Amino acid sequence: MHLGRSAQEGQVPALAPGLDPARLPLSPAEGFLLSRIDGRTPWKLLREIGGLAPSEVDRCLERWLEEGVVVVASAKSAKSAAAGSPPAGPSKPASPAAPSKAAPAAAPPRPAAVAIDESLLDRSLDLAVEAQRRILAFEQRLAEPYHQLLGLSADADTKAVKRAYFELSKEFHPDRYFRRNTGPFGARLERIFKRILEAYELLSDPTARAEIERAAEERAAVEAAAAPPAAPSVPAPAASQEPTEAPSTAAAKAASVEATKRLRQLPHLRAAHLKQLAERRAKAKRFFESGMAAFKAERWLEAAGSVRLAIAFDPTNEAIREAFGDVQRKAHDERAKQLLREANAALDLRDARNALRLFEEALLFKPHDPGANATAARLAFLIGDDLKKAKEYAQQACELEPNVPSNRRTLGQIYAAAGLAANARRELEAALRLDPKDLEAKEALRGLGRR
Amino acid sequence: MGRVIGIDLGTTNSCVAVIENGQPTVIPNAGGYKTTPSMFAISQDGKRLVGHLAKRQAVTNARHTVYASKRLIGRRFDAPEVTKVIELAPYEVVRGPNDDPRIQLGDKVFTCPEISAIILREMKRIAEEHLGEPVRDAVVTVPAYFNDTQRQCTKDAGKIAGLEVLRIINEPTAAALAYGFGKKRDEKIAVYDLGGGTFDISILELGSGVIEVLATNGNTFLGGEDFDRRLVSHLLERFQEQEGIDLRSDAMALQRLKDAAEKAKCDLSQRETAEINLPFIASDAKGPRHLNLELTREVLEGLVDDIVRQTLKIVESCLADAGLTPSQIDQVVLVGGQTRMPLVQNAVAELFGKRPHKGVNPDEVVAIGAAIQGEALLAEDKSLLLLDVTPLSLGIATFGGHFTRLIERNTTVPVRKGHIFTTTRDNQSAVKIRVLQGESDLAADNDLLGEFVLSGIRPARKGEPEIEVSFDIDANGIVSVSARDLATGKEQSIQVNATSTLSDEEIQRIIDENELYEVQLKP
Repeated sequence: MHLGRSAQEGQVPALAPGLDPARLPLSPAEGFLLSRIDGRTPWKLLREIGGLAPSEVDRCLERWLEEGVVVVASAKSAKSAAAGSPPAGPSKPASPAAPSKAAPAAAPPRPAAVAIDESLLDRSLDLAVEAQRRILAFEQRLAEPYHQLLGLSADADTKAVKRAYFELSKEFHPDRYFRRNTGPFGARLERIFKRILEAYELLSDPTARAEIERAAEERAAVEAAAAPPAAPSVPAPAASQEPTEAPSTAAAKAASVEATKRLRQLPHLRAAHLKQLAERRAKAKRFFESGMAAFKAERWLEAAGSVRLAIAFDPTNEAIREAFGDVQRKAHDERAKQLLREANAALDLRDARNALRLFEEALLFKPHDPGANATAARLAFLIGDDLKKAKEYAQQACELEPNVPSNRRTLGQIYAAAGLAANARRELEAALRLDPKDLEAKEALRGLGRR
Repeated sequence: MGRVIGIDLGTTNSCVAVIENGQPTVIPNAGGYKTTPSMFAISQDGKRLVGHLAKRQAVTNARHTVYASKRLIGRRFDAPEVTKVIELAPYEVVRGPNDDPRIQLGDKVFTCPEISAIILREMKRIAEEHLGEPVRDAVVTVPAYFNDTQRQCTKDAGKIAGLEVLRIINEPTAAALAYGFGKKRDEKIAVYDLGGGTFDISILELGSGVIEVLATNGNTFLGGEDFDRRLVSHLLERFQEQEGIDLRSDAMALQRLKDAAEKAKCDLSQRETAEINLPFIASDAKGPRHLNLELTREVLEGLVDDIVRQTLKIVESCLADAGLTPSQIDQVVLVGGQTRMPLVQNAVAELFGKRPHKGVNPDEVVAIGAAIQGEALLAEDKSLLLLDVTPLSLGIATFGGHFTRLIERNTTVPVRKGHIFTTTRDNQSAVKIRVLQGESDLAADNDLLGEFVLSGIRPARKGEPEIEVSFDIDANGIVSVSARDLATGKEQSIQVNATSTLSDEEIQRIIDENELYEVQLKP
């Protein structure tokens, strides 16, 4: 775990291209973490700002990496995209949850001819074979963006939308084949009509439509950011299982085709949840309000929890995000204070290991607390099984408060224990310069001389 | 296959139509009338009377004559609407075994679907006599506000009457179909339906053979009968002023007054004055008293003006639902006998800024629309398609006794809608999905259609689990509801079957009884 941890720390996770977060089975807390992943924030930082305990953040990120929700390099993104699209099967229509199984590869505005599975045609039905063909062909197109599904250009006006909806309704409304033996085509007609209706409703609603267009643009931007081969800041992660060959241009192209495919489905994937979005926004507003109330009442933790939920429900709301900074800082301070109290209590009980754990946790919320760093260094040194960690805390403490002799002394002692005599001598001498009466430092320096 | 008929099963009058040689035709009954009173009676000598026959003896046989039973169908005995009918109606309403209101005529108790079935059977008979062939398929209309139970009961009535009800459609929608039949232009129309007992307003859009319902609204207790009641009260007061006799407790006198008021009201749509002449309406120590009054249109309009204003308010809210202004409506279609009243026509014209459409007969237009829809469903060549809507909102009960809508009323069907819900307690492992129908924000005020439990939710803090609830309505209006835990993928679902106030066995028993009765009649 620790080995993996250091390997992960430098990685910069990004959302997999074409991902629709609304469809993921996430808890709000996980949703919040997901909302922090922007392709720029390194793993290490996500542990701190992810709103979850660092171990939880690791667990989530690891799981998402496995599931292909999150990628850390473009080569992997191509791989996960490929793994994410299931083998072609003609029977079931695309549900909003699953990527289309039969989306056309290229992006013609209107597919001239869609290959249909002839074995599905049934001459015994009370339904002309030509009509069956049209139904099967149209059913394959259900995953297309709404305007394309209605055979319209993206800028078609509401009148054109209505006309197209009426025309398609005449062809695909189940009532057209009322009381006829249509076999499995009855269910197909229902699916088709429901989707046409959805397209019509959303494209006729100016707010929904703007949302669809915005979502498409946003996705395109994310694609652009995530699709090019490895961002320069991303070091090759040793632990990840990347394919041995370097991401070639061909692979990149394949990835971008996959991405385009997914991108085309995005507007409707997202739009299918527009109404939910509105609800989620309302929820976000409620959480935000109760969060701010808690903030005013100085219940910082509760405030941060509520605002975090608000962001989870409405990740795009800038006002909430802005407020979250303040709230979170306060909440972190508060949490750190609480943890430090607990840590000191553990110290009083001489429970060094527990105290160290609590100091370390407090440092996650308040990494620049000199006292906590110093004590953590001291404790880690005394426990002695992770000198490297002890050194990091001690260094941090010295950086923050170089003129506190005990900080220098601890660091010196740690260096000494690690066998780094020159460093140890430097620090211990510094400690003695600051406090000539520091007997412990003197003692350590003497020990160093003996060795 | 036989022909399909359209039946307007009205509160006060019913009407039947068919498409003949491509033209919608209203079928007159044996008396030559195009509408038949929705009345049923058992005469003193035990004969069953329907329609005009029942109406003609209604005054003298008030206790055994049923009218306006449509107000009772599919409702619970304790519903306020039922209480109101019990108060007003001269016939006896009793509580049925399923808590449904039933009507007692002599020693026989009739269920409401049974009464409706008797009217439907009469309409079927009228059509069969005219067509000279048996009729099986029908489209029957109901008010837009009818809920699932009321619709199902109407369907049951059709079944009892020996009809195969292809569809139940809304009255205003049917009116729009009748208006839109054969029209090629794209138009937005408003159907203003002020019938005997109810008021409905619908906004629809017509385009290239497709009719889409944009919005509907209405009031179930606002109609021509309210006009009558106002007039009756007025007459009662005038009579008391003149003669010092209160007729309110005299059932016979009331029925006569009601008939006279209705007739005067209709007359005043054509003329400025009407005379009401009811000899021997009462008698006291001084001998018999007669009611003899002259009524002007102005007086009548003063009595009912606020009712008309009320309908306009509903129209405005319906327009708002459709997102339209009055001037965006291309055509106003009037339905229901009460729209013959000049005051109503003027008020509607004033609101919309245009005279209402004159081409359709307000009494017949609904049946014609029903016949058109029947034909459209069965015809080979589809020149007309109705995009029908759900009449009432569907949703689930949520925390705090609230009702959360998933499918708003007026949503085109077939349709599928989903929404994400969560838990309200920490480590809640199961949620109960209660499927409701209605327009109240309070769960308890809506009708419960069914319920089920989704269990096995992963322990989590409240608010964290995400449970997707989806509603599906198919083309025949059958609703299925599913709930899925997005974390585990676990799913539960039910199909919501419209409930009737009658069980299948009861329906069968009634059908069997009626067959017996049919046999009795023949010899």
